[in-house]
Amino acid sequence: MSEGRTKRITFRVQRYNPEQDGTPYFQEFIVPSGRGMTVLEGLIYIKENLDSSLTFRSSCRMSICGSCGMLINNYPHLACHSQIEEFHSDRLTIKPLPNQSIIKDLVPDLIPFFDKHKSIKPYLIRQDIEEMENPTAEFVQLPQELNTFLQFTYCIKCGLCLAACPTSASDKPFLGPQALAQCYRYCADNRDEGRGERLPIAGADHAVWHCHLAGACSEACPKGLDPALAIQLLKRRLISQALGFGKRQRPSSVVPPPTETKPKVPFPEFTAKETK
Amino acid sequence: MGTAYLRLVQLVTGVLVAVLLSIHIVLTHLDAIFGFFGVDVAEPTAWASMIERASQGVFVGLYVALLACGLYHAIYGLRNIILEVTPSIKTGRIVTWALIVIGVVVFIWGTYVPVALFTS
Repeated sequence: MSEGRTKRITFRVQRYNPEQDGTPYFQEFIVPSGRGMTVLEGLIYIKENLDSSLTFRSSCRMSICGSCGMLINNYPHLACHSQIEEFHSDRLTIKPLPNQSIIKDLVPDLIPFFDKHKSIKPYLIRQDIEEMENPTAEFVQLPQELNTFLQFTYCIKCGLCLAACPTSASDKPFLGPQALAQCYRYCADNRDEGRGERLPIAGADHAVWHCHLAGACSEACPKGLDPALAIQLLKRRLISQALGFGKRQRPSSVVPPPTETKPKVPFPEFTAKETK
Repeated sequence: MGTAYLRLVQLVTGVLVAVLLSIHIVLTHLDAIFGFFGVDVAEPTAWASMIERASQGVFVGLYVALLACGLYHAIYGLRNIILEVTPSIKTGRIVTWALIVIGVVVFIWGTYVPVALFTS
């Protein structure tokens, strides 16, 4: 045990193995915790020292991969992004993300989540298929055009927004904030020409119009995205398109990549190594 | 795109319900306010007053519009709530048609009296 671990935290972890257990149950573990220790580190401590059968997902430990999403004290968090002392409690209740079926313990089945993501065609669609298959140039995009959707490109697909969404809890086929935000992200991209394919998906039943604008998705997002805003912007696009007005966005043209590269800025004098 | 039109109509009918209902409330239940400004609206909820209003095209139009907007707004909202908890496509279709039939029947029933009074 490293120094500085002074507090003993009770981890109340939901356990469930569909092959053995009829219903999920809770198991308690005592974890020594110190300053800066994350919930994920606590779970790793349990797995390494107390119960090796505890199952959870994790990978990067720096809130980039989005693997360790779970319900901590009944609120969706990334376990690697949540320090134990943030919760101001000696007792943490940890459950898998809701609105998804459980594979085992804290591992939710994210296949429906990724299917919904795939359904909105999350890639650039262009009419010039030849250029897409064999690119000869770059698509022009100004910084201000990038800024219209930039925040939504930071989505790590952790599923916390879907877990927080009250509509997803009652309406299983609801596309969910993640997929809808990504739908807006690609529709707003001036390099894309796939609005005609995506907007009917977003405008159908169990999609944007079922959003109650609770805003829970935006509050839960660990990357600070605002999926609720994307859904509202998507609604505006749908209404504009239905009424036949709104900005007609021309797809960006292609230009050859710059042949000249800027020379590197030389090191300042005081950092250059003495060659004598 | 069909859903976008239906949703847009629901937003518009929501605003119209608020406006038309306000006119109805002010005219029939807040006659004291008119009295305060010196306008005498003699017992607006009395039978004779209602019959008199029913003979005026403006009021008939107002009430028919209020009923149509209120029905559409309520029934489309109800459909959305039901579809949210019954995600099956088949159930959705049954619910949609059942609500359309209910809406049409209630609209005909609700407009029959004012239209009959107006035309008689």
